[in-house]
Amino acid sequence: MTRRLLASAALLAAALASGGRAAAQQADRIVIRAEPGTPVVAQELLLAVGAADEPELQPGIAYLTARVATATARPVLDSLGARLEVQARREGLEFTLTAAPDVWEDASRALLTALFRDPTDSASTTRERARIVAELEATENSPAAVAGRAADAALYGAEHPWARPPQGTSESVATLTASDVDVFLRKNFTADRATIAVVGPVDPAEARGFLVGRLNAAPLEIAEAPAPQPGDTAVRQEFGSITAWVSASYSFGADADLDALQLLASVVAERFAFSSSTRQLYDARGEVVRHRGGGEVRFTLVVPPAEVDAWGERLRAAVASVAGAPLPAGVFNDRLRRYRGERLLELDSPEARARALARELWLTRSRATEAVVSLGVLTPERLQRAAQSLKAPVMVYLGPFENAEH
Amino acid sequence: MLALALALAGGIAADTVRARPEHAGEAPPQQVAVHRQPALPVVAIRMSLLADDPPGYAGAGHLFQHLLLPSLQEQVRRVGGRVSIGRSADAVVYTVSGPASELDFLAGVLRSALRAPVVGTAELLSALNQVADERSAEREIAPSFVRASLRARLYPDQLPAGGTYLAAKRLETARLEPVWASMYRPERIAILAVGDVEPEAVRRAFRTLPEADPDTAETLADSLPAFGGRSPEATRGWVGAAWAGDSASPAALSVAARLLRRTLRARFPAAQVDAEHWWTHDGQAVALVMAAPGAQLPALRRASAAALDSVVARVDEEAVRGAADDVRREMLFYGRTPERMAELLGDFADRTGDRGAAQAFYEALGTVTEADVRTALEVLNRAPAARVEVPPQRLRTTP
Repeated sequence: MTRRLLASAALLAAALASGGRAAAQQADRIVIRAEPGTPVVAQELLLAVGAADEPELQPGIAYLTARVATATARPVLDSLGARLEVQARREGLEFTLTAAPDVWEDASRALLTALFRDPTDSASTTRERARIVAELEATENSPAAVAGRAADAALYGAEHPWARPPQGTSESVATLTASDVDVFLRKNFTADRATIAVVGPVDPAEARGFLVGRLNAAPLEIAEAPAPQPGDTAVRQEFGSITAWVSASYSFGADADLDALQLLASVVAERFAFSSSTRQLYDARGEVVRHRGGGEVRFTLVVPPAEVDAWGERLRAAVASVAGAPLPAGVFNDRLRRYRGERLLELDSPEARARALARELWLTRSRATEAVVSLGVLTPERLQRAAQSLKAPVMVYLGPFENAEH
Repeated sequence: MLALALALAGGIAADTVRARPEHAGEAPPQQVAVHRQPALPVVAIRMSLLADDPPGYAGAGHLFQHLLLPSLQEQVRRVGGRVSIGRSADAVVYTVSGPASELDFLAGVLRSALRAPVVGTAELLSALNQVADERSAEREIAPSFVRASLRARLYPDQLPAGGTYLAAKRLETARLEPVWASMYRPERIAILAVGDVEPEAVRRAFRTLPEADPDTAETLADSLPAFGGRSPEATRGWVGAAWAGDSASPAALSVAARLLRRTLRARFPAAQVDAEHWWTHDGQAVALVMAAPGAQLPALRRASAAALDSVVARVDEEAVRGAADDVRREMLFYGRTPERMAELLGDFADRTGDRGAAQAFYEALGTVTEADVRTALEVLNRAPAARVEVPPQRLRTTP
């Protein structure tokens, strides 16, 4: 009898230990930021289902599946006054849910059930496919979209999954069937690929408990994308627009100084802002795009076609000048002051903070909720070192070059 | 509150104050209020000047805003901030947002808007053109035209925020300092800060405001523009109706408007249906704006004529509770950023003079009953509705 009791106790202990590990693994994929003064709860769910999971002939199926799966939850969410946004990124899908505190659990339950339990129906597929095709037809041939795709192909390699637009193309999405969506959903939309951040007036323990009960215990599963294979020569692509687009993509690795690189993107873009000395510059942008294991700083200029090479050189020179010497203290402080304000205002909605937290958790496994709204101590030297750490840029020129001299 | 807030904005954006008993003559004391939101070290500061446009200078308040906006934008850009302007029926409103650590700087930016702008002819003409464009837009776009026409019928003495053509011509050559002096008094300023700031710090930042200038503009007559003539071209037919409901409970009217929207959206799923609660110092109303392809226009017209009765037939406690919860959740959603929360709280406070008006309204929504809504619908039904229609354009084919 004693031996049976001991055996039972051992089994129970093993079961408890196993359950503890499972709960820990689930909790590792959840981050909660309690904000008592915020009027709504925002929940960001990142599903690690992206271009690398899509069959080669089905670009855009991840996004279509996400739209179809969530279509069933929309009536419930509408009745609760909750909002849901769905976006496709290279590495995964983003589901942003915003709801009043008294109904956020109901809204979250509806979303999780739609993603991981409910089957899809062919009517929803037909409807969402038509909507996405219409959306893509309206945007995919704009110079900005074409320039972005050209830069992606040059940076990652033409055959790399990330060279494809995350939403697919109007042509590829139009061929997808309800059966394709059903198969893709069953294979890829599983709770072990989800990372969740919640921001708002919630009790952290209760919110975590609610979510842990709805995620399965497996560790986070992410399909690794092939290594990028950037080209080593500048790409020039003819395009029938009246302006030309110049992009310079600087890769960085996992150990990059992200705060400093983001400041660098802001400082360099600021140099190309419209002014009396840059009248012929139509637009200038700088952004940091992260992925697991690194990322890129991408600058984009819109310029007259005849000046495209000169602006490309100026862009590279601007980054090189920051790498060459620390900015004077006065200039640096002015830029930093503005940059801090812009960064903070980017996070002024709870859904923006939830998105930032979920991405941070997904990319770095960090669950530090304060880090997302605070900047470290930035100095001119730190900015210089960050610029020096960048690899040579991949340059892409898009425009009507044949007629440029006219 | 999103729909309600937008409805309020739609209802008040084009109106200006002619005779406002609660503000005219005796101005309320300057007030500073702070709504703490410590989630993020940012602050949104909303500054409202509770003032009418001076008689004869309709649109002056909004013109001053356009004259000052480029300078304000340039200033807040230094700290990565944002600035917005708005002219409601109750106030001239400026809002700046930025890091909480820049509170004093942002307050200084707002204080700089409390003096008559010194501008050249080019800047003045540019600002006048922007205001004129806003006036024109109201007549050129079908949904704006419907709303503006309904307002003109409900409140025939009101002038639009953008003023009138004649007033704009007058402002083109007027000395701006006396016009500004007719509007500005320090005690007419209300400050509302939302974010991670302490009340004392905000009060300190606005401790001193510019003095009022006794050299005010000569009182002149305003001419009310006729709001008629050709309606804008539209691909769909538009039907609008509005009912005055001044004496009804605001919360019950909001719920009634929500029920009206739900009822008609369920009946016309392919049409665009908006039902809005308008609430300004001039009074309250419920407005219905619908659009559908031409073939459905007769059905929309009939539905508009019987709109209030259709709600009366369906209203019950459960429907009232659902609609009230809907409005409350929209208030929360709308106020989820400091800037929006400042707008929400400030609009209520400007209208009623009560800092806690938004909170009181939110709580009142929680206690609205079926009887309250029925009473509100009765109030709406007492007066004849204002009605507007924009037919769909007919395409001519050449033989």
